[in-house]
Amino acid sequence: MMWIFIVSDALTFAAFLIAYGFMRSISPEWPKQTKVFNMVLITFMTFVLISSSAVMAMAVAAARANRPKLAVQFLALTILGGLGFLGCQAFEWHNLIEEGARLTSNPWGVPQFSASFFVITGFHGFHVLSGVTILAIVAIRAALGKYSADQVENAGLYWHFVDVVWVFVFAFFYLL
Amino acid sequence: MSEHHEQSENHEQHGLSYKTYIMTWVWLLVLTALALGLGYTNINEKLKAFLLVCTTLAKILVIAAMFMHLRYERVNLILITLAPLILAIIMFSFTFPETLGTATHVIRVR
Repeated sequence: MMWIFIVSDALTFAAFLIAYGFMRSISPEWPKQTKVFNMVLITFMTFVLISSSAVMAMAVAAARANRPKLAVQFLALTILGGLGFLGCQAFEWHNLIEEGARLTSNPWGVPQFSASFFVITGFHGFHVLSGVTILAIVAIRAALGKYSADQVENAGLYWHFVDVVWVFVFAFFYLL
Repeated sequence: MSEHHEQSENHEQHGLSYKTYIMTWVWLLVLTALALGLGYTNINEKLKAFLLVCTTLAKILVIAAMFMHLRYERVNLILITLAPLILAIIMFSFTFPETLGTATHVIRVR
C-alpha cells in the first residue's frame, strides 16, 4: 500500500518539476540561484536529510532485529533531523520573504521564479512535516511496546521518499 | 498479511548491516558533493544538466536500492516505481519542444 501511495505522490512531484522546467525554459532570464539562496544553508539541509535517511534505515534494521529500544533511539534521531531541516527551511523562507519574495513577484526577476520556489519547497516541506508526525507516532508506539517492524518499515519508506524528492529539488532547482 | 510475512522473511534473509548503511550514506554524500561541484562549474549548460541528471539518478537509485530495500522486492514492484520517472520523461518531451526557440510568451502576473 505504501508503495502505491509513494508512486502516486511521485507523480505529483514529477508534475511540479516538469511545470517548473517548462516555466523556466519559456522565461527570458532566470535568476542565478547562488545570488539568491544561501547555498551553505541549502547544502547543510541536504546533508541533514540524507543523514536522517541513513539513520532511518538503521531504525528499520533495529526494528527487524527486534531491538525496539534501539529503533526508538534511531527514530528520535531521524525526527531531530526532520525538525532541523524544517527549521532551516523556515529560516530560508523568512529571509526570502523579508527580501521581498512573494508568490506572485520577487526582486530578482520573473515572478515564476518565486512562484515555483514557494510551491515546490512548500509542498516538500509539508511532506517533511507529515513525515516527522508519522515518525513521532511510530516512535511513541514503539516506546509503549505497541511495536511492529512493518510499521517502522512503512514510515521509513515514506521518509526515504521525502529524501528522494529533495535530491531532485536540490539538483534541478538549486544547482541547475 | 502474507505479503508482509513474505517481506519480513525477505529482509531477514537479506538483512543489511549498519556498516552497509554507513557506507551508503558516505556514497550519497560523495554524490552530493559531486553535484554541488557541478553546480558551481562554468561548463556548457546542456552538459551540466546532463551530468546533474546522471548524479541525481545515481543518488535516487542508491537510496531506493539500499535504504528502501527495493533490490529485494519483486520485479513488478520495481517496474511500478519506474512509472513516475517514465511518465515525467514523456511529459517533458511533450512540453519541451514548445519551449525551443525564442522565449517570448512569459506571462507577468504583476
